[in-house]
Amino acid sequence: MYFIIEDAINGILMGSIYGLTAMGLTIIFGVLKVVNFAHGSMLMVGMYLAYWTVTLSGIHPYLAIVLVAPAMFLFGYYLQNIVIKPIFIAEKNVREPLTVIIVTTGIWYILDNITLLIFGPQYRGLADNPLRGQMLELGEMFISVPKLYGCVTAIVTALGVYWFFQKTDMGRAIRATSMDREAASLMGINQYKIYNVAFGIGAATTGIAAVTLVPFYNVFPTVGVLFDIKGFIIVVLGGLGSIGGALAGGIIIGLIESVGPQFMTATWTEAIVYGLFLLVLFVKPSGLFGQKHDW
Amino acid sequence: MKKGEALQALSPNFLRAGNSSSSKANGECILATQGGKTKREEPMRILRTFAVPALAMSMLAGSYATGHAENVKIGNIIPLSGPSATLGQQGKAAREMAVEEINAAGGIKSLGGAKLELVFADSESKPEKGVAEAERLINTEKVNVLTGCWNSAVTYPTTAVAERYGIPFVVPVSVSDKITDQGFKTVFRIAAKDSWWTRDQFSFLKDMEKEFGTKVERLAFVYENGDWGKGFAGQWKELAEKGGYKVVLDEPYPSTATDLSPVVQKIRRSKADVLMLVSNAADAILLTNTLAEYKVKLKAIIASGGGHADPSFLTATGKNAQYLFDIVEWETDVNKPGAKEANDKYKAKYGQNLTGEAVDAYVAMYVLKDALERAASLDPEKIREALAATDLSSGPGMIVGYDSVKFDTTGQNENASLVMVQVNDMGKGLERITIWPKAARRAGYTPVFPMPEK
Amino acid sequence: MTHKQINKAAFIVVLLIAFGLPLVIRSATYLHILVLLFFYAYLTTSWNLVGGFAGVLPLGHAAFVGIGAYTSTILFLQYGISPWLGMLVGGVLATMAGILIGLPTFKMRGAYFALATIAFAEGFRVIVENIDFLGPFNVNGPRGLQIPPLNTGLGNFLFTGKEPYYYIILIMLIAVLVLTWIISRSKLGYYLNAGGEEPEAAMALGVNVARAKLIAMAMSSFLTAMAGTFYAQFTLYIHPKSIISLDLSFEIAFIALIGGRGSIAGPILGALLLRPVGDFSRIYFGDTLPGLHLIIFGLVLILVMNFQPRGLQEPLTRLYNRLVQRITQKTTGEIG
Repeated sequence: MYFIIEDAINGILMGSIYGLTAMGLTIIFGVLKVVNFAHGSMLMVGMYLAYWTVTLSGIHPYLAIVLVAPAMFLFGYYLQNIVIKPIFIAEKNVREPLTVIIVTTGIWYILDNITLLIFGPQYRGLADNPLRGQMLELGEMFISVPKLYGCVTAIVTALGVYWFFQKTDMGRAIRATSMDREAASLMGINQYKIYNVAFGIGAATTGIAAVTLVPFYNVFPTVGVLFDIKGFIIVVLGGLGSIGGALAGGIIIGLIESVGPQFMTATWTEAIVYGLFLLVLFVKPSGLFGQKHDW
Repeated sequence: MKKGEALQALSPNFLRAGNSSSSKANGECILATQGGKTKREEPMRILRTFAVPALAMSMLAGSYATGHAENVKIGNIIPLSGPSATLGQQGKAAREMAVEEINAAGGIKSLGGAKLELVFADSESKPEKGVAEAERLINTEKVNVLTGCWNSAVTYPTTAVAERYGIPFVVPVSVSDKITDQGFKTVFRIAAKDSWWTRDQFSFLKDMEKEFGTKVERLAFVYENGDWGKGFAGQWKELAEKGGYKVVLDEPYPSTATDLSPVVQKIRRSKADVLMLVSNAADAILLTNTLAEYKVKLKAIIASGGGHADPSFLTATGKNAQYLFDIVEWETDVNKPGAKEANDKYKAKYGQNLTGEAVDAYVAMYVLKDALERAASLDPEKIREALAATDLSSGPGMIVGYDSVKFDTTGQNENASLVMVQVNDMGKGLERITIWPKAARRAGYTPVFPMPEK
Repeated sequence: MTHKQINKAAFIVVLLIAFGLPLVIRSATYLHILVLLFFYAYLTTSWNLVGGFAGVLPLGHAAFVGIGAYTSTILFLQYGISPWLGMLVGGVLATMAGILIGLPTFKMRGAYFALATIAFAEGFRVIVENIDFLGPFNVNGPRGLQIPPLNTGLGNFLFTGKEPYYYIILIMLIAVLVLTWIISRSKLGYYLNAGGEEPEAAMALGVNVARAKLIAMAMSSFLTAMAGTFYAQFTLYIHPKSIISLDLSFEIAFIALIGGRGSIAGPILGALLLRPVGDFSRIYFGDTLPGLHLIIFGLVLILVMNFQPRGLQEPLTRLYNRLVQRITQKTTGEIG
């Protein structure tokens, strides 16, 4: 009995971190209506940033958020502004420019391989950080402390982003644009600036996720690819554009990954995750918390 | 008819190959949405679209321009990018070091002092790229011999290509039994077959039980879900049955998993005595750290080289890896003349210790030199015969733990043997210490078995 | 000469060159590169039936390649059935899979559809990697299946030289191109296009868009599976990570997109331009700058999508047409 609870807790903690990594993706998808295939690479960039920040300055890993989040915001903002915006301008009348998927894939290939060239393929880990290997022991159960920190960060970030979108002017402008592009621009909102900001926020959230992962996960050039596909699955499960949905989707995946192996080998849980993904796509494509879209 | 006309109005022009009046209208519309590019920018666009094929053409021409020298060309197909890149790079470094030494000592004397020239090709760990590169190295680069490919999955089809052309192929590292069991005449493998690795792992275990008077009953098998892992696991199951052990866990896992705590939980709950692992670098690190975090109590952990032998493994796991047993071809403290010097030289040059795989690549170069000297010819058949007759037991290349390199009729190096190391601290920080076979054990060290409570 | 006559002449010249190349190029390396080039051109043209004509973005076509390759290989290795027959069986299985996938997914819009195809392909790959035996069939999981290069001959679809493979894939490519051309001029072609651009209007006119898309999907998956068999017989080794890989699915789609999906020449142009770039940058830079060819590929993707979103076939076709017009004017000017 203990086993299932212990696994479930690990699943929820890890899952909320997955949700945090997917949050940027769902924001970008919700506002710009495009799937950012470079998402995994952005996570990887965030992880390298966090790694080097901590290694060079010796500060506590979570303090690195102060540097990583704004840096990632600018990275995302300008990435959208310079590389992706021209497509939006060119395909003004298309509701969902699929060519953006292709451009973001190009960005993915470039980022991953430039990182390989610059930093080499080695696996790096934060060897001596205060969070490493810390476990909370409740009776027979072990709870990983870095994952606990990660879960709390995920919830706080989710609440923060939600508050931003509900209560601030910029946030409301972004929501307006995502619901109806033309109407929003009629109200004087600069559509492209909104996209830049939204992309920046998505990137910043991903940066925060990167900081949570670095204390207990390896950093290497292709680390993003693992989280990329998972991110898509989480985002669809939870509903595109829904912050809470991203967290919920992540937790579901985390639970399957942690509790599943008790009943089958770990390799089959992968197949189950894909199966669940397809089930949701067919039965309720808008996801658990998404709204029904007309697109 | 009306339906057809309506539909025609809806469909864009690019489905039809020729010009027509309706297409012109659409064409103008497209121009408009693209922001009204003017006629002046046409030449630029044409230039741009031709840049890529022009570049490709010039590269084609360039390949014909490379001249031929009087050297012996050795083609090497290894993973220089992709998931096994770190290991491919080590193989490259080891080969380069060996060839430098050989050339500095006068090259191949029976060929008039001909130098060895290395040509590298990136397999990206993908079989089809390995095959393509083999074709290219044989036909365009005109290499005299091939070596490679690290990943067994790449080595199978690539050796088939060499076999077809009759080009000798020396396999330094890939362990899969199948490689020498295919009946190919041109394949020569330096490393031990994977059935030997598993056999030795179990012999070691029995020896440890005897030496320390500790009984081992329950075994847990945790392995990466690829060719290598599954191959080992299959053999482990047979060996466990023969040895009278009970297998309490048989868990393949995806090497790319982002969280291995569920697997570790299963290990913990299986109450196994000994855990046997087959892992690549990232998951080896993750598993070791997670096992330590969950304070899993085991009598011993026996790894299978690969990821556990990767230089970045110790740096990334530190104390968590203490007391780990690992089986490898070679370790830096092996008791052979020249081994320490070679390792120091390599470390000074490349910043890391030699690994078993790197040593295999190093030895492969010396095996080739020896064969070329005896063949005294660049004819592939003569080289192949010379390789088949190899009995190399001395010389700067022989820093391996065993006595000589000798190929049996299937091309397998029959003397290849393995050593077991334990990760421990003998006062100078954590290092890998050779402990088995007992004759190879480092002086002054007694292995720790079973693992003490940490 | 009229425009049409010049077109015909151009086609004949290209055909002659294509069939005559192996007589001129003796190097096995370059023949190998050409075979793979035609292979990708074939794959992207088959993909185009769904991805171009039907206007959706399928990113999981490698699954069909895998179905074709595994079906024919298992039948050949275990039962000695000729790969030609196995090719057809694989095609049929792939068609069934394609229709099964298409039925629920075609209702989805753009990005959802793309993600669903990715999930199918990856899920299929994970399943193949995990099973050693599917009933009586030896699938061998991640270790893959190897075809021993014995008993060569047309009946066994095994050859020692590259030339036979070259001609086979060339004929397959021409067949697929002809098929695409026929469809583009047929009612099916118009239905697909209308359904892609303005589905509501099309349906209002009574077009069964869903059925058209399914037919396109069925054809595409059948043809793609046949390529899987070819690949297995050419490289003699298949395993899930190489043949059901996301990389392959993406590469097929992106080559078609860069060349210009929805057009007939687009996919081939894309293959002709991009495959050499990938091959040559690996050859020349693979040992010093690993991964460079992926960076180049990424840059090309971004640049083309930014400047030529309908694909490179557009400016190239326009150039071609202008050249032809100039020739027509010159020749009719002289005669008249």
